[in-house]
This record gives sequence, structure tokens and C-alpha cells, in this order.
Amino acid sequence: MNHTHAASPPAYAELHCLSNFSFQRGASSAQELFERARQHGYAALAITDECSLAGIVRAWQAAKKTELALIVGSEMQLEDGPKIILLAEDLAGYQRLCGLISVARRRAKKGSYRLLREDFEEPLDGLLALWPAQGETPHADGRWLRERFPERLWLAVELHRGPDDARRLAQLLALATDLGIPAVASGDVHMHARGRRALQDCMSAIRHHLPVAEAGHRLFPNGERHLRRREELAGLYPAELLEETLRIAARCRFDLGQLRYQYPRELVPEGHTPTTWLRHLAEKNIPWRWPLGIPDKARKNLEHELKLIAELEYESYFLTVHDIVQFARNERILCQGRGSAANSTLCFVLGITELDPANSNLLFERFLSKERNEPPDIDVDFEHERREEVIQYVFRRYGRTRAALTAVASTYHGAGAVRDVAKALGLPADQINALADCCGRWSGELPPEERLREAGFDPQSPIMRRVLALTGELIGFPRHLSQHPGGFVISEQPLHSLVPVENAAMAGRSIIQWDKDDLDLVGLLKVDILALGMLSALRRCFDLVERYRGTRWELATLPPNDKPTYDMISRADTVGVFQIESRAQMAMLPRLRPKEFYDLVIEVAIVRPGPIQGDMVHPYLRRRNGEEEVTYPSEELVPVFERTLGVPLFQEQVMQLAIVAAKYTPGEADQLRRSMAAWKRHGGLEPHRAKLMERMTRRGYPAEFVARIFEQIKGFGSYGFPESHAASFALLTYASCWLKCHEPAAFACALINSWPMGFYNPDQVLQDARRHCIATHPVDVRHSDWDCSLEPDAGDQPAIRLGLRMIRGLAEDAGRRVEAARAVGPFADVADLVRRAALDARARERLADAGALRGLAGHRHRARWAIAGVENQAPLFAGLPSQEEIQVALPLPSVGEDLHADYATLSTTLGPHPLSLLRSVLRNRRCRSSRELPGIEHGKHIGLAGLVIGRQRPQTASGVVFVTLEDEFGMVNVVVWHDLAERQRKVLVGAQLMQVDGRLESQNGVRHLIARRLIDLTPLLTGLDVRSRDFR
Amino acid sequence: MRWACILLPQLALDSVLRGRADPDAALALISGTPQRRVLQTVNPAARALGLRPGQSLGAAQALSRDFAMLEYDPARIERAQQFLAAWAYRFSSHVSLHYPRCLLLEVESSLGLFGPWPRFEARLRDELNALGFRQRIVVAPNPAAARMLANVHDGLAVDAAGLAEALGRMPIERVGFTREVASAFARMGVRQLQQVRNLPRESLAKRFPQDVLRHLDTLLGERPLALRCYAPPDRFDVRIELNFEVESHQALLFPLRRLTGDLAAFLAGRDSGVQRFTLHLEHRSGEDSSLPVGLLAAEREAAMLFELARGRLEQLQVPAPVQAMRLVARDLPAFVPQHRELFDERPQQSLPWEQLRERLRARLGDDAVLGLGAVADHRPERAWQAAPVARSETLQQEAPRPAWLLREAQPLREFAPRILAGPERIESGWWDGGDVRRDYYRVETRGGQRAWAYRRVGDDGPLQLHGWFA
Repeated sequence: MNHTHAASPPAYAELHCLSNFSFQRGASSAQELFERARQHGYAALAITDECSLAGIVRAWQAAKKTELALIVGSEMQLEDGPKIILLAEDLAGYQRLCGLISVARRRAKKGSYRLLREDFEEPLDGLLALWPAQGETPHADGRWLRERFPERLWLAVELHRGPDDARRLAQLLALATDLGIPAVASGDVHMHARGRRALQDCMSAIRHHLPVAEAGHRLFPNGERHLRRREELAGLYPAELLEETLRIAARCRFDLGQLRYQYPRELVPEGHTPTTWLRHLAEKNIPWRWPLGIPDKARKNLEHELKLIAELEYESYFLTVHDIVQFARNERILCQGRGSAANSTLCFVLGITELDPANSNLLFERFLSKERNEPPDIDVDFEHERREEVIQYVFRRYGRTRAALTAVASTYHGAGAVRDVAKALGLPADQINALADCCGRWSGELPPEERLREAGFDPQSPIMRRVLALTGELIGFPRHLSQHPGGFVISEQPLHSLVPVENAAMAGRSIIQWDKDDLDLVGLLKVDILALGMLSALRRCFDLVERYRGTRWELATLPPNDKPTYDMISRADTVGVFQIESRAQMAMLPRLRPKEFYDLVIEVAIVRPGPIQGDMVHPYLRRRNGEEEVTYPSEELVPVFERTLGVPLFQEQVMQLAIVAAKYTPGEADQLRRSMAAWKRHGGLEPHRAKLMERMTRRGYPAEFVARIFEQIKGFGSYGFPESHAASFALLTYASCWLKCHEPAAFACALINSWPMGFYNPDQVLQDARRHCIATHPVDVRHSDWDCSLEPDAGDQPAIRLGLRMIRGLAEDAGRRVEAARAVGPFADVADLVRRAALDARARERLADAGALRGLAGHRHRARWAIAGVENQAPLFAGLPSQEEIQVALPLPSVGEDLHADYATLSTTLGPHPLSLLRSVLRNRRCRSSRELPGIEHGKHIGLAGLVIGRQRPQTASGVVFVTLEDEFGMVNVVVWHDLAERQRKVLVGAQLMQVDGRLESQNGVRHLIARRLIDLTPLLTGLDVRSRDFR
Repeated sequence: MRWACILLPQLALDSVLRGRADPDAALALISGTPQRRVLQTVNPAARALGLRPGQSLGAAQALSRDFAMLEYDPARIERAQQFLAAWAYRFSSHVSLHYPRCLLLEVESSLGLFGPWPRFEARLRDELNALGFRQRIVVAPNPAAARMLANVHDGLAVDAAGLAEALGRMPIERVGFTREVASAFARMGVRQLQQVRNLPRESLAKRFPQDVLRHLDTLLGERPLALRCYAPPDRFDVRIELNFEVESHQALLFPLRRLTGDLAAFLAGRDSGVQRFTLHLEHRSGEDSSLPVGLLAAEREAAMLFELARGRLEQLQVPAPVQAMRLVARDLPAFVPQHRELFDERPQQSLPWEQLRERLRARLGDDAVLGLGAVADHRPERAWQAAPVARSETLQQEAPRPAWLLREAQPLREFAPRILAGPERIESGWWDGGDVRRDYYRVETRGGQRAWAYRRVGDDGPLQLHGWFA
């Protein structure tokens, strides 16, 4: 052993190191590892996560930041052979590594891998192998590896102060000599510093599903597997072994920056370049969008955009998105693009968006810019029930080797982290649950001490201190890879030459090991194929209207600037429409009173944590209503904030502000955007606070203004909602409002047929429709299809015939068979129905209970008796009338019984609203109805009762609970302040029918009841099935 | 015949509450998976807090934290039910546990002894109340009717003449039909049993499974209900009263030999062994002395049982003269005899290990016989410990470890021993507050002994001797 201490310790490169992307093994992030390696003066650091490159982009970032060389590699355990560490020497080696990992991963089920000896029969040039010689047959393993990695195999000597390091070293060196291969020192590093020993033990225990105390020898005996100081290494290893690390490091020249991504080429036909083909498609579509010829302004924009795209060479990206959208259009799947690039003239022409930029007075400077070096970003929403068809099309078109979904590295949130840690520390199940409840579900922070004490924990007890400390370390760590909901990566070359590909949990899908942030950094482009329920509803509504009236509307052809529509919106008459239907949105509408499209863009974006946290909502409203003067922080910011009356509301405005007022370079602004999206996870916003503060105050902005802007930036971070997305959403909002205003029956019908989606259930949608004087007809096998449908009615609006889909527990195929059998001919009686629609006992009972047999058998009780008597006849007697039975007398259902049965089977009733049955009782209790509210003056004390259809505790409002009550005339918002909520928690949480005594607040047509006292009237309902929607 | 149904509406709760000092404090029994814990039952105090059966634990804790929780334990309920059946067996030789949470007693034949019925009923209630079990009691001409009537009645006694009418008024969902049948009737507007009886039998037969009509007939006593009768339990409990008060151990050996002999015979008869039994010595006043005798494996050889019991008995300080002796054995597992060679090669004097161990334990006490237990823990002092002898475990050690580990480390009295190997670093145990960080060395003393010694990481002091290698 070499004990001589030179003046400076020997140079060293660590070649075997796991980051926390070796899930439940590595206990430090790449950033921590690189920082520590830098401090110790390492020459290079390899990140060798177990059969994975999922963390390599982050490692690359950390390497760049610390200016320390990254070696890309991976540790792998052969199923039938030794464990090895492979390092990529050059691009070819990297591609082989991706290939090996892909093969091993795709052979196993999600989350595991199976690497076999046969995988090493392929050429392995460009890969260096380190072999820790841990197996039981070292000579055989060594010889086998030596054949596969000639001149590229090292025996990795890893000493961790075990029982007898000196002997182990001697044995290993002898083995290396025997085999004629060089030996090299390496660290099998699992953490950046010894201080992570407890976390590392804890993660091992979690991995083995054992408490730490029982994990025994599955834990490492000591904390030596960290990045050790070079002095220390010099005392452990002979100098040659340390020097050898440098020779290996010098050979590994691969850098992720060498990766070259190419778009699929097949979208461009022979004889065209991407540029000419994109232009060709645009020109071809112009007459479709503008039958009367393209306006000059649009032509100018189009030319400008095409030029920019050509300069940035993004044609293929637009062609790819266009191809997907074209498929959807051919299949009549409604879709709508959003994102900065989506709201362009080009995307409008190509049909990627339905939003005509000319119709919205938006300033789309943000389309693409050369300086910002931001890749184009287009998300496309498709009908939620048909998105899978689109996804399968992409896989078909490009093949599973060239198209894959991106991954999401799911990270530990507070609750999950505390759960795993507490389990590892052996806490009992009930306490684990209680602890997890103390954390907000998605909160990335430790539970506050107060919360813990409330729940009966002592935060100062040793065990709780351990739990909390470890939880704090674990939060934000990646936990596993899962599939992004719709982010696709498509490439010309097989993807596994860029990045390892794994199987997704869902059959027939593959995912790459990188998530979307990683893609940006490496320059891979992705298309988001997302699902949106409202698109399904809108397409159904267009279909219904076309069938009923013969007019085919499209998103782009609906009449713009429709005054009745905006009047309806201003009344907050928006149950069921897109985005502006929630309680908070509805409360805003009468104050905002939208008059044009851009107002909707604002409305969609304003009720969100960003503007609320930045306290921007009220100033905007005051200025809009003329109660406050429109001023600007400075002259230079007028163009930035003009469209929002001087109040920053959008993420884009904050970015522009940074550029204009804090003189950020486009590059810095882009960094700000990234940190904004990631600060909850990784922090990193603080430098920007200082920078903004310093630069803006120096340029004369008040510190208080900067502080507010910064709060808003944090709000955007959690729930970023940029203007470009708001604009696309606003289009759908307008379309849904227009339809609700002009085709309310079709709209309600389409909503119900697309359920589950949106904020309201079918019952609430139907109640709303009937309040708008739409006739509704009950479920009846003689008339109902599976879906709800339209039937002619006396007035202008058709009536809604409830569909068989409303019947709880009725299988869709049974319902469809009823529809098909009726198309052949009307049903003679119950037996005829049962036979021709081949209904099983369950389906029959559901139909009878739902009252759908009223035309064939009479009321529910008779129907139930009748279907129970239908015998499965032999085919011989089919069609013969069944034997006459003695008529029995069954009691007629009462109104209450029918109501009860309606809710139990249909979740709604076309009979009287439950509250109308109780109205006289309620009047005796001095309860008002929602219809009386407009006539009651502001500030008056009243009592009011209704079904509790919503309870909401917004995170932005401290401890306030919002309750929505429904009676036969409409809905009422109730505000329950924190104190009352605590005092009357039982009623608040438990009541289905609630009486609220309180003070009425009425301003600008917005009414709230501020609760003073809650009374549980649920017993009056006995047995009604009225389901509340609860939100945490 | 007249059948009494004693329904125990709160059996689960009562079986817990009767053992609690504060039965009026809020209590909930919890069941369900670790992910979804639900309240199974709650007592009135808990109900007053808003807790309800079926609630999730989370929801309950959102309402209140001032209630005690206990695992809902089906085994405890079963024991309570068996206990009550044994209790009821005194009143009727015809007791059945046919329905859960319920005792059925044939009372006609017991009326002579305990009757008339009102007096009998009062006695049953008194005793149940004293035992701590809430009850509903109904008497009817057949057990099925008694059971169903007890769903809505308490204290009702109907005779054959009144049965049809009493049943007719019963709500349809409470007469013991399956949930599907009951809801099918309800959906037809049929609310009471009388309405069912008014429907034509053939129409009913066409629409409902056979057992609906059969159940109807059973309720009305037109079909007998097959009941399995309760039989007293399989356990050994024999008491011998001594003719005079005994103070010496010697005099107790005779009855002990009888009892252990009877136990062995009993065990042989049912082909089981005994793992644990208790010897009770009854005194004139004061509590019994009880003497548990435990075995590692099931045994049934009379001589061995006697030997073991004697060994325990001889250690006991008898506090007062003994009047009676009782042996209770509940733990009666199947007996698995050991295979013996045809020619037993063991010398006459030697004992098999199990017997030796038991004899040692019996003579010296449980604490005196210890084994070396191996625990998977990196910390040496936790890794191998003296532990009560359990089934033999093999010690698994990867690293060389000394056979003799000192109970506590002590400074090594030698200044510079020769270091053979090390340092081996051990850093482990942070989770229980016993974190250690040590560098261990194998050293050789001047005397040639090999020792295992450590120094705390970062410490410069003398080596701490922790063990000796053989």
C-alpha cells in the first residue's frame, strides 16, 4: 500500500458512480455529485446509472455548469453473467450503449431489465468495460469479457474499508495479472458525501420493501461509497491504479452535444425539399381558409413566418404536426393546436389551429425567434375519447423504433416521500397514513410542525426528527419513470441510437428514457398529443346540429363577436361551457363582462394562481371598470402591458418585462422561463430575484413593484398558463358559449354524451337545460338511443330525449342492441324486447328500474314484475305470445319513490326537483329559494337550503371553504370562513342537504352567501342518491 | 317447540368494551387494508362525535381525534360467541350458533326449570347485562322466525297462532332474503312480507330462485330448519379436589401425576399433543396460583409431561395451602412423532436435545438457558446476541468475526499490538439512535492471542477490545 504523501494528492477520475436516477439506490443528484467532485479536484466524473441513461442529460447540464468532464456510462448486471460498467468512448459507443439498454429494458417488464450474454455477441466498439470481479467464477468471467472487450477491459478495484482490504487488493491484482488485463481504481459511488449514508440506507430499505432495522446486510456496512477526497484515495490505492483512471477518462471523448437529431423525411415527396413542400401545402390550403382570397395582412404574415421557419430549418416539425392533424381531420376527429407557434397564420392555413390570427387582436411576436433559440412548441388537443386512434396512427406511420412517447421522471412529493421514509423507519400503517395526510398531496414541502402536532405527532421526538430530515432529503428525487400523457418524439433514425427506449406500462407503446426538459436541452423536438373532453362535446354538438338543422358548423366558421353570446357570458350563465364554468370563473364574469374575443383570453387566464398570487386580478378589474386610472410603471413598458391595461397577467408579459425593464438578454429570459417552470422542483429562482431587483430598481422601478412581479413569477411556475395557450382555449370557450347560447338543447345533449368531462355532471347539465326551457323526455326503450338525442318540440329548440347511457349499470352493448333491434321494428311487449335485444337479467332489471319500459309494461313496479316473468324461450316458440298469467296488483310508486328511483338509476330526475318536494317544509323553516335572491338587498340576513353539489377549498384562499348549493331554481355560492368551517366541520363535511343562515353579499350581479350557521337537513332526503363532488 | 333468539347487536363492540375500564369513552373498531382503513363499528360516545360505521379512518379523523381505535378482530368475536354459547348451554341442551352474532335456544323444554318465560327471559337479560353483552330477545315457534323477528322486535313472544300476522308486517328487507331478492321485491313495490304471501306461488316460482319460497315456508314453520347444535369445546380442563389442605410439594405430586396422566390419555384419544398448559392451585382464600408450563414442541408422553410440570412446580413458592388442583390445556396442536431408527443407537443416559433443553429450562428457569441468536445487523453487538433459545438458526457471517464477543468493549491493555488486518469500517445503526462509526482491526497480542478491537472513526485513543478469536 502506498502511504507516502506527496505535496499534492494524485489526480483521479471517478468512473463508477450512480446518481439518483438509479432509483432507490443513488442518494445524490448529478448536480450534487458534480459539485463535490469539482471541490475534490477530480479530473472527470462518470455517471453510470444502472441500465439507464434517464439521468444523463441532467448530469450533462451539471457537468457544463461545473466545467468538469462527464463520462457517459452505465452499470449493468448480466442475468447470466458478471456485473460490468460500460463507458462510452465515442458516439458509436454511445449508440451501442443505448442499443444494449433498449434491448435489456424491452425484454423485461416496465421498471426492470434483463441483460443476457447473447447481447454481447454484437460488436461493442466504442465501449470500454470496467469489471468489479464480484462473481463466483472470476477467471471464467474475466476471460469471457476479455474476448468481447479486447484491449478495452479493466479490472475495477473497489475498496471500501471492508474486513481485509489489503488481502482483497492483493487478490484482485493477482487476478488481473493472471488474465493479463490492467486494473483501475473506482469507487462504486452511491452518494456525493458520507452525510447521505442514512438516506442511502433508507432507499435500500425502500427498494427491498423492508424497514431499515430489518434490512440487515442488504445495507452497506459503512458510508464509504461516496466521493472520497483524493488524499484518502491515495492512502487506499496504489498510484498506478489511480493513474489508470486518467488514461480511461482521456479516452472517453463522447459528449451529448455530438448527438444529431433528424426529422422524419418521408413527409416530403420526391422532387421537393421540406421548404418547397411546406409552401406547397400552405398555398394549396389558402382557398380552403379564404375562399374569397387571402387578405394582404395574412399573406404578409405567412411569408414572414415561412421565411423564419426556413432560416431555422423547422419545416419538418410543422410538416410532422400537419400530418398528424390531417389524419385527425380525415377521421373527423376534432382537434385544436396551442402554444406559441400554434397561433400563427401558417398553422391556421395548415389546419393545426382553428384560431384565425386576424380575428384576435393578439400580438404574436412570440411566434419563433432566432435570438431566443427556443424550439417551436405545439400542443395539439384531440377529442378525449379518440386520442388513442391518433396515437396508434403515429406508431403505425413511423414504427415503434422511430416514434416513442417521452417519459416523465416522477419525483417524490411530500406525501409520497414521508410515506416511504416512515415505512422504512418502521412506523405503523395508521401513523404513516396520518403523516402523509399532514402533507399536501402535491406539496413539495415538509409538513408544518403545527400540522404535525395537530395530528398527534411530536416533531421533536428522535424518530420524527429522523423521518422529517430524511423526507426533506428525499423530496424532489426521481422515483420512477412513467409515460408522458402525449408527448411524442419522432425521428428519422431509430430512436435507440439517440436514447434508450423502454416499454411503457400500456401494451403497444414505447417510451424513451428522457423527459421533456431533457429533450429541449438535447435539441429533440416533440409533439404533444393531448386529450380534451370539450372537443368531443363540440364535435358531437356540431353533428347533432347538422342532423337536426342541416347546417354544419366548424370551429373556424362560427359567427364571431356575437352579442347574445357575450351577454350570456356576462350573466355568468355558463354551466357546461369550456373553462369559464367553475365557481371562481362564474364569480368573475359579471365583473369582467367580456365583450370581445380578447376578453375571453384574459378571462381564461386570470382565475389562476399566477395572477392571483401576484395580486393582479383586482387592479385589472378596477381599471377595466374605470374605477382606477390606467397607468404604466414606465413608458418603455406601455407596449408590453397595453393590452392588459398596464397590469401584468401573462407569463409572456413577465418575460418581455424582464427583457425591456431589466435588460435581460433573450438567452437570460429563456433561462428565466426554464427556472420558472422548474423552481418548485429544483429551486434556482432566487438568483433571478436578486438580478431583477438589482437591475430594475437601478433603472428606477419601485422595489415593491418588483417584489410583486416576482411573486407572480413564482405563481406562474406552478401553474404556468401563457397567453398563447389561453388564446387557443378561449376559442373553444367562445365556441362552446356560442353553441350554448344558440343551440342549448344540442349543446346539453352533446355534453351529456361526452361525460365524464368538465365541471358538472349530467344531472346538473339537465337541470340547467330545463331552467332554459328545454323540454326533456324520459328514457324509454321505444324512443331512446344509447346516446341522448334531439326530438322535435313545439318551439325553436328541440327537446332532449334521454339516452340509455343514462341508466346506471347498463352495459353499452346491451343499450346498442336495443337501439338496433328497434330499428328493425317496434317492440310488441317486454318479452319481444328481451328476445330481440338479447337482454340478460341484469340489463332487464336496469331498464325496468330506470322506468325505460313504461311504454311496454307500465310503471316501474309493473315493469319489474313483467321482466322477471320473461322466460328464456326456446327458439321454436319464438314469436308466439307467452302464456297468459294471472294479473297481480302492485302498488303505484309514490312521487317520493319515483324520485328516489330516478336518482338511484339515472342520477337525475325529470320529475320535480327534490327541493321542490321539500319546499313547503323549507318555507316553514324560513328558507328562501335561489330565485328570490335577486330581489333581496345586499347585506341582509337570510336562510337558504339546497343540495350540496360542491365543496372546494382553494389553495390560494387560506382555510376558506366554498360550498355550492343547488335548489330547484339554480345554484348559490356559499362562503364558509375558516372559523366556522372548523366549528361546524361535521355538518360541512357530512351534509347532503344543507341549510345555511348567513348574510347575502350582492355586487354587480354576483351573489354570495356568507355563512353564519350551517344546519344539516339531510334526514329530510332519506335515501336520495345525490352525489356531491368533493375537492380537496 | 319454542325457540328463543338472542341477537347480539353489538357483539364485536361488547366483546371489547367489557374488558375496558372506560367503556363510555369513544371507541371505534377499525378494519380494512392498510391503504383504506374503515370504521367497522363505533360505540355511542363515538357516534356522538359523528363517527359512523363504514366511514374511512381519514374522514373520521377529520371529524375528531378524541377517540380510541382498536383493530376489528374476527377471532375475538368468535371467542365471545363460543363463550356465550357455553353460557347458554346451561339453560338449554339445544343451543345453536346457526346465525352469526346470535344464539338460538330451544326453551320449551327448559321452562320447567327456569320458567315461566317472563322470568326466564329476565334471568337471561340479567346475566347478559352482567356479562356486558347487549341483547335483543324474541321467542317464536321456530328458530328462523325468531331470528327474523328479532331484526325489528325486542321482547316479543309469539305463539303459533300469532306468527303469520307478526311475520306479515315485517319489512321485506329484514326477513332474511338475499339482498338481490329483497331489492327485487322492493323494486316491484312489495314492502312487507304479507304482500309476498298474497302473490300467486306459481308466479313467484317463475320469477324468483327456489329458496325464496322455501325460506317463506321455513319462516312460517312449514319446513324445518336444519340446525347444527353447539357442542362443548375440545379442550382439556380437569380439576381434582384434594381431601385435605396440602402444603408440601411432595403431597402434590400424586394428583399432578394423575392430571398429567389424564391429559396424556386425552391427547392420545384425539391424536394431538399439547404445547402449553396451566396448572392452577386453588387456595381457601385469595387468588389461585397458576403455573404455566410451556413446551417448544407438541408433546404427549405422560412421563415427560409429568417431569416438566414437576420441574416447574418444585420452583414455586406455594403461598397458602392448596385445596384443589386444576389442569387446563387449550393449546392442542396435532402431534408429529419423531422418527426413530429401528435400532436406537443413543446411549441410555443421553437425552435428545429438545428434551434436555426443556429439562434445563424447567429446572433452571427460562432465563438461564440462552442461545446465540444471529441478527442481520452490521453492528457487531447487535449481530449476535444471547437470545431465548428458538429453533436453531445457522449463523451467517461473511466477514471473519470472533466467537467470543465481549458484552461491553473495554480498552485493550496493550500499547502497540501487531495489526493483522484492518481497518474494517462499520458505520450503521442511525435509525434506532445507536449509530456506531468504528474502524475495526484484527490484532495479535504479545501473548499470541488474536483479538478484535476498534477505534472510533476520527478518534486517536487506545484500541477498544471487543472480542477474542478462538
